Amino acid sequence: MKNRIQLGLVCAVIFALVCVAAGPVRGAQDPAFATANQDYSEGRFQEAVDGYQRLVQAGRFDANLFYDLGNGWFRLGNFGQAILNYERALALEPHHPEAEANLRLARDEARALELRKTWIEKYIEAGTFIQYSIAASIAVWLAVFVSARLFFTRRRSLGPVALIIFFLIVFALASFALYTKETGSRGNSFAIVTGKEIEARLATADNASSILALPPGSEINILSERGDWIYAALPNDLRGWIPAKSVEKVRL
Amino acid sequence: MRNESRISKAAARILIAALALACAASNSFGAGASVTAVLDNSETGVGQPVQLQIKVTGSTSVKPPRELAVDGLDIRFTGQSQLLEGRNFQFSYSYIYNYTVMPMKAGTFKIPPQTIEAGGSTLRTPELTLHVADSPGQSSRPNRSGENIDPRQIAFVELILSKTSAYVGEMVPAVVRLGFNVRTPVESLGNGVEITGQGFTAQKMREPRQAIETIGGKTYQTFTFKTALSPARSGKIAIGPVEVNPIVRIPRTSRSPGIPRDLFDMNDPFMDNFFRDPAFAPSTPREIKMKSEAATLDVKALPPGAPPSFNGAVGNFTMTVDAKPKTAQVGDPFTLTAKISGRGNFDRVTAPSLEDEQGWHKYPPSADFKSDDDVGISGAKTFETVISANERKDHIPAQLFAYFDPIKEQYVTLRNEPIPVRVEGGSAPTQAPVAPAPQTAAPAPSLARTGPKQQEILHQITELSAEPQSFTPLFARRSFWLAQLAPFLVLLGFITWRIRRAHLDNRDARRREALQHEAAALQRSLRREDVSPQEYFSRASRAVQLKTALARNVDPNAVDADVAASAFRADEATRRRLQQLFEKSDEARYSGGQNGIRLLPPDVRNEVLELIDNLRA
Repeated sequence: MKNRIQLGLVCAVIFALVCVAAGPVRGAQDPAFATANQDYSEGRFQEAVDGYQRLVQAGRFDANLFYDLGNGWFRLGNFGQAILNYERALALEPHHPEAEANLRLARDEARALELRKTWIEKYIEAGTFIQYSIAASIAVWLAVFVSARLFFTRRRSLGPVALIIFFLIVFALASFALYTKETGSRGNSFAIVTGKEIEARLATADNASSILALPPGSEINILSERGDWIYAALPNDLRGWIPAKSVEKVRL
Repeated sequence: MRNESRISKAAARILIAALALACAASNSFGAGASVTAVLDNSETGVGQPVQLQIKVTGSTSVKPPRELAVDGLDIRFTGQSQLLEGRNFQFSYSYIYNYTVMPMKAGTFKIPPQTIEAGGSTLRTPELTLHVADSPGQSSRPNRSGENIDPRQIAFVELILSKTSAYVGEMVPAVVRLGFNVRTPVESLGNGVEITGQGFTAQKMREPRQAIETIGGKTYQTFTFKTALSPARSGKIAIGPVEVNPIVRIPRTSRSPGIPRDLFDMNDPFMDNFFRDPAFAPSTPREIKMKSEAATLDVKALPPGAPPSFNGAVGNFTMTVDAKPKTAQVGDPFTLTAKISGRGNFDRVTAPSLEDEQGWHKYPPSADFKSDDDVGISGAKTFETVISANERKDHIPAQLFAYFDPIKEQYVTLRNEPIPVRVEGGSAPTQAPVAPAPQTAAPAPSLARTGPKQQEILHQITELSAEPQSFTPLFARRSFWLAQLAPFLVLLGFITWRIRRAHLDNRDARRREALQHEAAALQRSLRREDVSPQEYFSRASRAVQLKTALARNVDPNAVDADVAASAFRADEATRRRLQQLFEKSDEARYSGGQNGIRLLPPDVRNEVLELIDNLRA
């Protein structure tokens, strides 16, 4: 009887968390979105891009919207903006297959440089923020519940202690994955070069020595900002100053 | 007696001397204080100082003016002295205050009367007039500060080229040397040192190296500037002259009679040496014009037949190349690091070129030069170039760097070995044409786009999610933390339930403990012989109740013989005995006596004890 009650409690916790993390429900339609899609299908790419951007400016963040916007920019030949919006779609839905495919094409066209991921980032990339957050939450609550049960139990065995240690390890790993994703090369500071003929420089001056030419769509990681310049980690493990107006962060 | 006369004579002498001093003092100070002010010359030129002397007589406490402000004159206090004068037993004590007056511009200046406090009275100096001529040469005063000194007597400048012939673009080290006689120390080098001339470029000169050298028996402070010249055209090029306009301090060679450098004018050799030391001697800053001899450089044009990768580098160089990583996917970048070291015109050293750029996309390189010397003609220049393969590759082509060696007088092309790498994915490498097409000098980027001009992207998606999505990670959203309330509340409920249960368990345990305690006490009392039958049977029935209550966790007061027999699954004989026990207990309790029996026989007690002990669950 006791075990059934405890199992029920754990299931309730997991159910609550899963409800929070449930994915978006598809199927909604927006007239402005439909109009932009119509413009796109009829070849009016600039009008389509304008329509998509109005939706974005209105706070309607959606992976499909950014994907479509990226397609519009691609058609207009602005690969920097196209790559930026594909990246935004992937930031919202990390396994968006269409965005992944078109992003590869845009990168090929733009010759965009990519940030090198560390080996640990490659592993962590397998999971999403949602998955790691839920895993960390469930693990820590299970550890807490088992600890509480252990506390009130007269006869203490090694099993619950091992279980607590296991849950805490899972929590630590999930937390580390979250931290790495948030602060890594594709974290909160992840940005895309949208300007053309941009060169990273040694100092905050247009005539300072050039470090690296950055084609549109190249990936950078913003480290700090100073006035109209940003200091960024660049592809090929370089660092340099870039005009702030030529770069846009992926996360809005 | 003789001693007494000696003492009286000495006392008389002291008295006379004291009277004389008192008289002198009264003569000296009784006349009142006075002040005089004089210039050692009322005419001078710009930059030629004159001396102002203020003399206060007849007072012991004088406050002289420390600062005299006159527009156009720089007046500075230089020191004070005291003077005791005696004439016909008339003694006077004077304070002399000296000032140096430096005219800053031409004109007639009036030094206004100065107020001096002396012994409680206020004195005023007379107004003084100073005529300053426009230039030192117009002064009526004799030349005292070496205005007409030939600069060549006190300083020199020379331009030294390391060679007299060179190739166009070749770096020619050059040295400019300045020397100043230590007796005319240099105050500043004016606008600096510049090599004039046309047809060449010069490296920026850095800070000079200073030294003290003895040349021709004279000691000079020398400044050595190093630079490098790079001729821009062929033919004879005039280098220089080098023109410098330093400011040196020209010592004044004659003393002013009005300035008591040696207060007592005793020709003290120490004082003389002190003032002759260039560091302390009075001197005048003055700009002098110096010019070196010009030099000629015979410049030869570079020979024809320069290799295609030649970009104007002249000198002697070596090259090392490395690439990272060694394995990549098609389109992934490689970083080529080429380090060109040696000696030459590094400003013309450019990144090496790929021997075969087909199938590669090359990005603009970055450069970093580290000089090994002061003038930047030797060192190492490191280029980092990012390239990416458009197709599968197994090596990065050789890199070429060409320069002209002026010693060998020929062009040299440096070439590294192809760097083995592995480029995976993408299409197989395109085959090079068997017969090379005419050289069209196609740019690398166009070669890179050998695939379809613009690949077809995937279709639009016409559905949006019902709720807007967010870039904020789940763990940073408020809803996530609100959701944590659910397990938290469950945890709270669980803890509350367990605590309550523990509390109840604890109360039950205490009750059982009390019952056990009571049962044990009863058991002990039942073994005693001094208990009346009434009390004995009462205690025995209570012991049965307690034992049953402990065994079945029931209220002991609700236990009777049947309950106890059922609880312990007693047989019929035991049940009857229990019933008899409870009846006797009731009988003894309600009848109030045992028909005269005061104590129970031992066999009865043993029987009761045996009955209770045999009650086991």
